[in-house]
Amino acid sequence: MTNMIKTESVKHEYTSHTGKSIMALNGIDISIEKGEFVAILGHNGSGKSTLAKHFNALLLPNSGTIMVKNIDTKNEEMLWEIRQIAGMVFQNPDNQIVATIVEEDVAFGPENLAVESKEIRKRVDEALKAVDMYEYRKHGPHLLSGGQKQRIAIAGIIAMKPECIILDEPTAMLDPSGRKEVIDTIMKLNQEEGITIVLITHYMDEAVNADRVYVMEDGMLVMDGTPKDVFSQVEKMKSLGLDVPQVTEICHELRKEGIKLPADILTVEEMVVELCRLK
Amino acid sequence: MIKDITIGQYIPADTPVHNLDPRSKIIITFVFITALFLVNTFFGYIYILAFMGIALGLSKISPKYLFRGLKPLVFIIVLTAILNIFMTEGEIIYKLWKLTITKEGLIQAAFMCIRLVFLITGASLLTLTTSPIALTDGIEKLLNPFKKIGVPAHELAMMMTIALRFIPTLLEETDKIMKAQMARGADFESGNMIARAKAMVPLLVPLFISAFRRADELAMAMEARCYRGGDKRTRMKQLKFEMRDIYASIITIAFGGLIIWSRF
Repeated sequence: MTNMIKTESVKHEYTSHTGKSIMALNGIDISIEKGEFVAILGHNGSGKSTLAKHFNALLLPNSGTIMVKNIDTKNEEMLWEIRQIAGMVFQNPDNQIVATIVEEDVAFGPENLAVESKEIRKRVDEALKAVDMYEYRKHGPHLLSGGQKQRIAIAGIIAMKPECIILDEPTAMLDPSGRKEVIDTIMKLNQEEGITIVLITHYMDEAVNADRVYVMEDGMLVMDGTPKDVFSQVEKMKSLGLDVPQVTEICHELRKEGIKLPADILTVEEMVVELCRLK
Repeated sequence: MIKDITIGQYIPADTPVHNLDPRSKIIITFVFITALFLVNTFFGYIYILAFMGIALGLSKISPKYLFRGLKPLVFIIVLTAILNIFMTEGEIIYKLWKLTITKEGLIQAAFMCIRLVFLITGASLLTLTTSPIALTDGIEKLLNPFKKIGVPAHELAMMMTIALRFIPTLLEETDKIMKAQMARGADFESGNMIARAKAMVPLLVPLFISAFRRADELAMAMEARCYRGGDKRTRMKQLKFEMRDIYASIITIAFGGLIIWSRF
């Protein structure tokens, strides 16, 4: 397996408007492999968005190094390569769409990369089909729902042929159906196209399908492992101010009452199987 | 309510006028306006009318839409007429205290009003048949040669695109803020002009703050998508002159010739 993103003791400090200096990242060591689906959890102010912006050189660390596909993000000559390899989707779908027509917006990235116009056309069509928005290609973005806008934003990144997509709370402003659309799209891209996914979120249910989960607190990684490892530690998650998936929580409560269930149940299906096995 | 305002009055259709290259349309509109100012007799307007008629017929736009564009400018047209009627010296027809109406004034007023009507309808025909994106593209391409003398062609086009993109978003936001404030007792509808303008201030402050935040986030998103100015960019849709652009140019040149000839 090859490393997609690797960081070594990354620190990032900034001065707040009150003049106090704040350690947003305090020694982050993380290594994300190619094709992996990684979820980064943490409550507001834990530094997870700051970390995400380091992954494609929107921010540079005060100390430590970040390697994206073995390119140091401090290397200014390779800046555009890094941003092409590691695409980024932001929280607010409205504030990342540039053009007034869906297909023009998807073309924005490849146009910046000076791709030939015929090739852009091909990429735009493919990207729109990949997110299932092809029939909306001539629409104005303001007429779409939040989930659809976010899928357009993802298509805009796919058209740049990235190897890794970083999503910074892409579902925070969406309704439940929009959230499902976006998460399904991300999963499909990960499984079918083999694109590395880094999903920053505070919805625990979205992290259940990840290969690995990292939990951040005060600029540090405090937990990592498979979703089962992380979510089975219900008390620890709660002490960090985070929830666990609903099913896991019910399971935890039942276990406290003395019902013999495994601690690492994450989905309704697993719960059903385990409950039927009782008696 | 406020969301229903449409910006740009483009009516999509598949006609020879709609399909013309936006660059041709912009240049033709300029030639038309110049010609309009060269006309010095009522007779000359026949050519203008004929040209407009051909363009309008080919574009299949209902004249109703063209005249709708005149509505907001009725005041200016009426003002022009009044000024011309009363301020032109010549053969006095009617005298009212210090105001005099002259024969020359009436003729001049009619002449100027026709010119204004043609000017406005001609320009609306351009915006009615050209989508805002095509228009920005056309402007960018036309300004390209002036880059050497420091005209920021790409930046201007980009600004226009982003402005067009965010108009509906900001309108929606204005609507939301207005409703939120109305829910807490703000009154935007009663009072005189000054009172109403004052009521808008608490609306503008949050709107401005949010616009700046949006701008900041958009800039970051554009950077993340490798935007680095216009120099090395390619375009998905390339503008291409076609046969119909040549026909349109020939007609326009003939039209310009006729106008100049009509002056003698």
